[in-house]
Amino acid sequence: MRPFEYASAQSVPQALAGGGTGTAYLAGGTTLVDLMKLEVMTPQRVVDINRLPLRGVSADRDGLHIGALERMTDVAGHPLVGTGYPVIAQALLRSASPQLRNMASIGGNLLQRVRCGYFRDTSTPCNKRQPGSGCPAVDGENRGHAILGTSDSCVATHPSDLAVALVALDARVRLTGRTGTRDVRLADFYLLPGDTPEREHDLRPGELVTRITVPALPWATRSAYLKIRDRQSYEFALASAAVALDLRGGVIRDVRVAVGGVGTRPWRLPTVEDALRGKAARPEVYEAAAALAVEAARPLAHNGFKTTLVRRTIVRALTNLGGSR
Amino acid sequence: MSGTARTVSVNRVDGRLKVTGAARYAADQPVERLGYGYLVLSTVARGTIRAMDVAAAERSPGVLAVYTPFQSLALRGGGNPFSVGHSWLPLQDAEVRYHGQAIGLVVAETFEQARDAAALVRADYEVRPAAVSFTDGIPGATDPGPFMGEPARLEFLADGVDSIDEALAASEVTVTGTYQQPGKHHSAMEPHACVADWQGGQLVLYSGTQSTSLTVGTMAAALGIEAAQVRVVSPHVGGGFGNKIATWAHPLLAAAAARTLGRPVKVVLTREQTFTVSGNRSAVRQTVSLGARRDGTLVAVKHQVWSSQSASGGIFESSAHTTSRYLYKTENLHLDQKIVTLDVPPPTWMRAPGQESGSFALETALDELATELRLDPVELRLRNNATVYPGRNVPWSSKHLAECYRVGAQRFGWDRRNPVPGAVVRGEWLVGMGTATANYPGERFPASVQVRFQPDGDVSVSSATADLGTGMWTVLAVLGAQALGLPISRVRSDLGDSTLAANIGAFGSGATASTGPAVAAAAQAAITALITLAVTDERSPLHGVPAADVRYDQGQLVAPDQRIAFPDLLRAVDSPGVGATGTAAPGPEHGQHAFTSFGAHFCEVRVNRFTGEPRLSRITTVIDGGAIINAKTARSQIVGAVIFGIGQALLEGAVVEPETGRIANGNFADYLLPVNADVPAIDVHFLNHPDLLFNPLGARGIGELGTVGVAAAIGNAVHNATGRRIRELPITLDKLLA
Repeated sequence: MRPFEYASAQSVPQALAGGGTGTAYLAGGTTLVDLMKLEVMTPQRVVDINRLPLRGVSADRDGLHIGALERMTDVAGHPLVGTGYPVIAQALLRSASPQLRNMASIGGNLLQRVRCGYFRDTSTPCNKRQPGSGCPAVDGENRGHAILGTSDSCVATHPSDLAVALVALDARVRLTGRTGTRDVRLADFYLLPGDTPEREHDLRPGELVTRITVPALPWATRSAYLKIRDRQSYEFALASAAVALDLRGGVIRDVRVAVGGVGTRPWRLPTVEDALRGKAARPEVYEAAAALAVEAARPLAHNGFKTTLVRRTIVRALTNLGGSR
Repeated sequence: MSGTARTVSVNRVDGRLKVTGAARYAADQPVERLGYGYLVLSTVARGTIRAMDVAAAERSPGVLAVYTPFQSLALRGGGNPFSVGHSWLPLQDAEVRYHGQAIGLVVAETFEQARDAAALVRADYEVRPAAVSFTDGIPGATDPGPFMGEPARLEFLADGVDSIDEALAASEVTVTGTYQQPGKHHSAMEPHACVADWQGGQLVLYSGTQSTSLTVGTMAAALGIEAAQVRVVSPHVGGGFGNKIATWAHPLLAAAAARTLGRPVKVVLTREQTFTVSGNRSAVRQTVSLGARRDGTLVAVKHQVWSSQSASGGIFESSAHTTSRYLYKTENLHLDQKIVTLDVPPPTWMRAPGQESGSFALETALDELATELRLDPVELRLRNNATVYPGRNVPWSSKHLAECYRVGAQRFGWDRRNPVPGAVVRGEWLVGMGTATANYPGERFPASVQVRFQPDGDVSVSSATADLGTGMWTVLAVLGAQALGLPISRVRSDLGDSTLAANIGAFGSGATASTGPAVAAAAQAAITALITLAVTDERSPLHGVPAADVRYDQGQLVAPDQRIAFPDLLRAVDSPGVGATGTAAPGPEHGQHAFTSFGAHFCEVRVNRFTGEPRLSRITTVIDGGAIINAKTARSQIVGAVIFGIGQALLEGAVVEPETGRIANGNFADYLLPVNADVPAIDVHFLNHPDLLFNPLGARGIGELGTVGVAAAIGNAVHNATGRRIRELPITLDKLLA
């Protein structure tokens, strides 16, 4: 860890005034401090934002609002979340460990950095960490890496479970900067790596994630997050599916499907949704739709199994949620 | 006083210390003026370091010294896999032998300063091509020469049979399988840690070690001092599993730096560093061919092994010689061990070295044979149960493997197993059951114990052995209490200090079997000393009574017309305490029998029919380990060992990058170990048949036994559940996706 300046902000304007290039905002610290110890992140200045009033979980006509500094544990346990949006609660509870969930903030969860072993090891090249240095994962150890949205510069998987659930639900993030506030669809907030994998999202220097809004979706009460991994706890997804079903009389009136563990960003699947909408909730329908998920997949040497796994994960999630009559 | 141990079930006597954080592990020792050392590791797999730039590190705040091959700490002699873990000493030359080798030590005022300065050290390498791929190295595998007292290629053939292949060809039924598993890491909860503190010419080394005495010898030789000048203190060890036997680079460098700097130095390896600095288990490929008659009688066993080895020295996984060598009766046996020498970190002993991998291959092959014969896997094993050690014609001292199978099958409900693979479906899960044998040799070493009566009414029982979380603190107290007829609460155990009564330490699952008999011997000697004091000291109420008329009874000395409690006696004669050292060692009985612990595992597995992930539902393990001293800590040993096997079966494996030799998953986020959610209910049962031909306690070792066979039992259950035979560990979902 390199020496750095530390300041604690008491208000959003104060935090924004202290932000900018070379500054990192500290919330739960579960990503930032870890990466600072590894010298993957070397901010000159750390601004602690834990005292900012960015808390609270509430619902109104616009939907569910979650303050960016709410802790994962608290959001997962909130009754508005558990009953209205089980997919969010489940995604949170299948993330990390209780200790980490007690510390980690919702805003920080959405901004967490990738788990690629090359990104985390400063003795190896990494385009995300050192633009232009190369990507050893393309030809190296890539069992956990992405099959969707990859480029020759970066194949790292987006690590957040929560983001997959939120993208499925069309959530928006509120970004507050010195010149004002803007709301962005979370699906648009995340950038594909392309030639600039160091740019992971549309957050401008000095901007803060202040709030997340999930639009009202009454039928999200029938939603679930299915996470598949080698270990049953405390591991990132090999594949995951966030699914919500509006099911009436055995017919899928509407549906949301997003997948994780396979994309360079949380991956909404509109073609899969289109293939399900209006159809009977039956195994062959699920399977035909899920096959569309991987049409654009670009498997690497060690993660080819993910094309099969993610399809099966979608089918299993739909089967659990909708039955297979 | 001597004789079989009575099984008790008591809490750890050191439990409170551990759960309150008061137990001092090596890095917890309070030492003044500590300097903190941090290792610098190589980032290439093979080559020579041309130069190292340490200027920035030396200027970094708080740095006391930066040591490299070019500004070195002198260490003497050479390396040795049995003492320092490899065949070289750190920083004594500029050679890089593998990725992650120690090439420098930074010492600073704080840990963080040392770590930050270490990140500033730059090495300029002349890189040479490295051989790091195990698979690529197999065609060039070599014969390691004799080991374990037998040749690497060992063959017994029936009269008139010319070769093992001829015996296989003549068999009514044969199966052949090739089994592979990656290298593995010990992953003890306590990382390797040490504090080196010179007090005058005397080195006190606090180090998490399985053997204080071996560490003394290694340190003295490398530092060029007498063994009497080294004291190694290691009262608590947070898991060892075999890689805390050798003394790796960090204590050698810490002690040498402390001597040079004139202040104590602590070095704690980071979790990532433990993956390359402190040993591992070989990657292993095995081919097993079994020939049998239709009725299941084995007639030929051929077991070929290729194990990875480090060009920088180490040991290798000897899979066939530790399993197929004696596990089943067969007229024709052929074992062949080869090594694949690579530019990788050195393998060292790791829990059940040999048996862990060997049992996966052999016990899976047995299951394949049972499937082929349409014979119950338990029945197949019972039919081939060996009663004499093959080729030596000595019987086992005590072998109850058949009972393990009978009892285990009953406890588990094996009769409910559907022999048809893939036939049992529960919801979205395919369900299967599997079984396998566990074996581990009964090891026993000479050991000494001191027993001392104290005027405060306690008795101390001490020995320079180690407790790796195994329960030795408690075993010493239990056996001391039994030998002296006192409650456990009055016995104070002490261990983990090289100045205590001589003891080689804790490995080979031999600590209890070795140390236990010495407790009885020491208790007897201490009682004799107590009686001598009582009848010879003029201040004693028993002065002048013939020693033969005094007997010891539950803390009291009993003479014909009086009795006195030992604390009263000690106070009466103003004694600080009286005691004696007793020694026990294996005798000539050790040529007349074979000594082995056995066990049987049964497990139920479910495999998701959509996504393929294997999950354990329950495990029953029945253990034939001789007499059990403390059932509670013994059960913990077996549970821990079974979990170790779950890791082997489903999760663990080093990923070595073929281009760089770097371990791609050398950290606890990526090297997966089982978490609680992966561990099902584990039912452990001890047969508890004392093995009195082995030692007077009747206790053999159990520390490693429980892990042997677990991976095969799980893999066999996966086959029963799905019809898929996975011969390459770990059994991950990608291998089960159709």
